[in-house]
Amino acid sequence: MNRSSSRWVLATYVVYLLLPLYWLLSMAVSSNADIAGDFSVLPRSPTLANFAEIFSNPVWYQAFGNSLTYVAINSIISLTVAIPAAYAFSRYRFLGDKQLFFWLLTNRMAPPAVFLLPFFQLYSAIGLFDTPFAVALAHCLFTVPLSVWILEGFFSGVPRELDEMAKIDGHSFLYFFFRVFLPINRGAIGVTLFFCFMFSWVELLLARTLSGSTAKPIAVVMTRTVSASGMDWGVLAAAGVLTVLPGALVVWFVRKHLAKGFALGRVS
Amino acid sequence: MLDVAGVSLTVDGAEHFDHRFAAGEITVVLGANHAGKTDLCRLIAGLHTCARGEIRLDDSDLDGLKPQQRSVSLVYQAFVNYPNLTVAENIASPLRARRMTAAARRNRVNQLATMLQIADLLERYPHELSGGQQQRLAIARALAKDARALLLDEPLVNLDFKLREALEYELRDLLRSTDTVVIYTSSDPRDAFALGDQVLLLEGGRKVQAGTPIEVYRRPINFVAMELLAEPCINRFTRAGKTCALRPEHVTVGGDVDAANMIRFDMSVTACETNGDDSFIHGRVDECDWVVRSYGMQEVRAGSLLSLYARTADVVSF
Repeated sequence: MNRSSSRWVLATYVVYLLLPLYWLLSMAVSSNADIAGDFSVLPRSPTLANFAEIFSNPVWYQAFGNSLTYVAINSIISLTVAIPAAYAFSRYRFLGDKQLFFWLLTNRMAPPAVFLLPFFQLYSAIGLFDTPFAVALAHCLFTVPLSVWILEGFFSGVPRELDEMAKIDGHSFLYFFFRVFLPINRGAIGVTLFFCFMFSWVELLLARTLSGSTAKPIAVVMTRTVSASGMDWGVLAAAGVLTVLPGALVVWFVRKHLAKGFALGRVS
Repeated sequence: MLDVAGVSLTVDGAEHFDHRFAAGEITVVLGANHAGKTDLCRLIAGLHTCARGEIRLDDSDLDGLKPQQRSVSLVYQAFVNYPNLTVAENIASPLRARRMTAAARRNRVNQLATMLQIADLLERYPHELSGGQQQRLAIARALAKDARALLLDEPLVNLDFKLREALEYELRDLLRSTDTVVIYTSSDPRDAFALGDQVLLLEGGRKVQAGTPIEVYRRPINFVAMELLAEPCINRFTRAGKTCALRPEHVTVGGDVDAANMIRFDMSVTACETNGDDSFIHGRVDECDWVVRSYGMQEVRAGSLLSLYARTADVVSF
């Protein structure tokens, strides 16, 4: 295939990929009347009223706040647990290390729905239900193994001689870990953060079940926007745009390391 | 003085290793791969624990001390530097661990960087340096620790040939001027002659022979010792029922045929290679593989017959 035709194929594919996104954006800046009206590629009378509605209506912005809260809690817990675990897996041999490591991955193989009922019952019993912690902890079941796997791949790529050299230089383990090892693995931690974020941000089933009225996440609010005047398409689309944005931002920051992250850090 | 006694350098722990390394001297530890060179370094540095035996440095026992507590520094074969620190911060790392003041640290860093000719690279990061510069940096950092024992584990193996020679002579002057125990491991006999005040031959975790390079070269105690100091390998033959050997440099192509103190060999050539200065002619003499080193660029066709001569005085047998 020559250059120009391969470009055409690529261009068509990109248009195909971006079309839904464009349509979402176009809807987000249109009024309900325009959306329901005749077909038009460009928004007829662009307006920011839908976004204004989201930023002024507590149901909307609190939902965003709730989502961001449990995503942040989840990311922090996942990283603080996964970083030492991944370091141990990459540096030490201990009894059953390989089995333990594989077992972590098998957690990812179970569908979240399986854990729905136990989580619901457990959190109701101990009063965690309808708090950001409920969703964050439930998501940890999936994000921690994933984080350990990704980080272990990256950590194993750092030569062990570096650890030893820090010892010989006279540094304590903590100095080495925080001043040398973690800074070297900035990219890896960024990528892991991205995967935790993405899982927790778009996960709907656990988030919906484990939150009542006070900790309702954005994904749930978006499914319940039938008002008295019917479906509020414009606001829904605006909320969709705002939901896509954080993900796009995180991708931008970790784009260099992302490919390696998808291979669980096992590409050098 | 570094005293290593009764330790084991093999996985099965079958062999004992004892040696006393003197301070202010460079001891080149020569051995093939897996002879235990790296294990020896790691044991002394405390990165491996000794299952038995003891290591004493200036009459203090190193057993049970963490690597952080030992006055030992190590340069790896691979270029290991902190990738997130600049050259200056890398060199300063052991000084920082000793809580030296910033001003004193700066002085020492500048002094070491000048010594190793990386003074104009202080603000760069290791990945911006060439291989030779990276290893210079690693050596500077090892020297910064001011340890009483400095271990260099095949430090120049990963460098190209020219850089290697330049750095080798620099290193010799640098290391001789200190009063530390310097252990330099290598698999290249040239290093032993270029750098070594002492040479220690290792094979399979056992000490074969130790002494000054010339001494060991002149009076090897067995064929293994002879082989370890031969470039590329020794030529064996049987004479009067005894196995004898000749170093490749003692065999000449052609020469004074009639002299009474010469032996003649007939070699059928199998291959000939040259490295620019020397040519290595491979062939067979009486069912033994031989390599002859001959000066200059030689072209000998495979399959041809060569007459080789050696002085009887150069023949070694045990």
